[in-house]
Amino acid sequence: MRGIRFQILSKEDLDRIHWGTLHILEKVGVQVDSPTCRKLLNENGCEIDEKKRSAKIPSHLVEEAIRKKKSTITLAGRNPKYDARLDLKHSHMCANGNGAVAVDFDTGERRNSTKKDLIDSTTICDALPNVHVHWPMVSSTDMPPSVVHLHDLEASLNHTEKHVMYETGVTLEDAKNLTAMGYAAAGGEKEYRRRPITSCLQCTYAPLQHDAGVMDASLEFARSGVPLVFFCMPQPGATGPASLVGSVVVGNAEVLSALVMTQLSTPGAAVIYGLGIAPLDMRTTVRAGGSPEHAICSAMGTEMAHYYGMPSCVGVSGTAKEPGIQAAIETYTGCVGPLLAGADLMCGIGLLEDSSCLHLEQVVIDDEIVGAIARLIRGEWACDDTMALDIIEKVGIGNNYLAQKHTMQFLRTDHFMPSLMSRESEDNWSKTGKKTVKDTAREKVKKILAEHKVPSLPDDANRELTAIIDKVKKPLWGGESKVQ
Amino acid sequence: MEEIVTRLKDAVINYEMETIADLAKQVVDQGVDPLVAIEQGLAEGIKTVGERFGKGEIFLPELVMGAEAMKAALAVLEPAVPQGQHRATLGKVVIGTVQDDIHEIGKNLVSTMLSSNGFEVVDLGVNVPAADFLKKAGELKANILAMSALMTTTMPRMGEIITPLKKDNPSVKTLIGGAPVTDVYAKEIGADEYSGDASGAVDSAKNLVG
Repeated sequence: MRGIRFQILSKEDLDRIHWGTLHILEKVGVQVDSPTCRKLLNENGCEIDEKKRSAKIPSHLVEEAIRKKKSTITLAGRNPKYDARLDLKHSHMCANGNGAVAVDFDTGERRNSTKKDLIDSTTICDALPNVHVHWPMVSSTDMPPSVVHLHDLEASLNHTEKHVMYETGVTLEDAKNLTAMGYAAAGGEKEYRRRPITSCLQCTYAPLQHDAGVMDASLEFARSGVPLVFFCMPQPGATGPASLVGSVVVGNAEVLSALVMTQLSTPGAAVIYGLGIAPLDMRTTVRAGGSPEHAICSAMGTEMAHYYGMPSCVGVSGTAKEPGIQAAIETYTGCVGPLLAGADLMCGIGLLEDSSCLHLEQVVIDDEIVGAIARLIRGEWACDDTMALDIIEKVGIGNNYLAQKHTMQFLRTDHFMPSLMSRESEDNWSKTGKKTVKDTAREKVKKILAEHKVPSLPDDANRELTAIIDKVKKPLWGGESKVQ
Repeated sequence: MEEIVTRLKDAVINYEMETIADLAKQVVDQGVDPLVAIEQGLAEGIKTVGERFGKGEIFLPELVMGAEAMKAALAVLEPAVPQGQHRATLGKVVIGTVQDDIHEIGKNLVSTMLSSNGFEVVDLGVNVPAADFLKKAGELKANILAMSALMTTTMPRMGEIITPLKKDNPSVKTLIGGAPVTDVYAKEIGADEYSGDASGAVDSAKNLVG
């Protein structure tokens, strides 16, 4: 794909951010809460302060980790036609993930999300052409707390044939269970390692911290062949410098240090460079996930990732409270910037209230917005077919092109056909009930849920998944002592 | 009011984080009643800052710097308050982020907002086990126990603290928040108040002690 690209950071800017990041990693270091990871870093020549749980990482370790990275990572679908090949040349979309609230499609009530919401949203994502990778959009909060994340994965694997990325592998035990479920769904470890149909997004903690559970889980995922995203989220002005580039440095240090630990433990592990830098709104204290700053940081994050030869994963997350004008502006702004920079995986469509609340209508509206952007940035080129000199000559002066095969053919590739937006005349629009985009989106949701059937996993795979969930399920938490 | 108390108030309003401690020392040296200095100087100053923030005239960094200035002066003035006397506050809040969760920026903002609005805040930090919340709430005679969780995986821990708290210490009110937390969820686990953002937490806390 040729694709239109804009460039925000020059080669010199990229170099400066890289060297600046190395300086921070050597001089300030990062906090590493996991004793296993501190031991690993210590054995490889990092300066460890056990009291502060911090590690100063020499530049050569970072450079070595970058050399071991993978530049092409295929997020395999259960059905190979949905494989998302992240190769630094193509952009893919992914829904937003793990909200805990949903607005009920039938009653309009805002309530805790359920497994049924997850199944419905997964089915819709499976049907939509501009969603390429799936994230469990909401949590099954009606399931027992200890196994909510396992139910999320089970429902996702059974209701889409696309690749499933989750973000709930936050302890070593979680990592083992989620991996076992991935193996079961793929038909065994060998098959999974060949075609990983799940992956895990892991958040680093700004500024400059790595949670113990998350990193222990990450090393386990890497050993088990589960692709990882390390996703940094400094908030400019709060957990990162207010200058956007300063926050990119902080985030870059977090991602690179996580990469160092992972590559030391499992050389050649599949790691995607993730960055979601959105400012804290300084009036409301809410994360401005639909801001132009988020979009521009995601574009810069993609440029940094590609500078290292790594695929990028960036996001958008509107702060609108309902589908409508604000949500559309936020999705559009948030997606167009990073996609113009060539983001490999762009997450975040479909949830509102900054990644918290599911509206099924918004999922299909965002799919339409992405469709329009995909057309906008596809790129144009002059070749015999597009120049169409022979057709122009054939049609001649004053006639029209409607009855040409060339028209029929290029209509399908060169013209975006909206499925929700109205292009009919005012007259027709009035006669058919003056439908808004939200109205047509509701119709589309209903149609998909009524008609779209996704093949479930084989019975024996489902028996394995159920067995894993039953084994893990335990009484409510409580009474544990503080883990140091 | 003594001139130096007015200067203390202005020092909060002008976010003089680095120099306000020296000014507070002068207050003590000059024999000014530390309670007067706190209530008519610091508290009045932070009230002005809070009002400006509420009107949208200033932003969060200014509010935080104002609160930091107040904190620096309190560290000097509070030890000088004669035993048995206490500064007037709206109430005592014990706050923390639940076990296995280390996301603290929201919790820190709530702490700042509450202290700049007249509450005394004791921050237990992050990754706080249920037992610590329960122990501190009782020991410190808290009016409000405030908890945060950012992850859907740690969110249920708030409910596991509220249930025994209601039994052992029914007078302590609970206030919860965090990205995945909702009003519906708060009701479900029996929390007394919920807030979706740090500014709202002040109103919630006032409801609880009002």
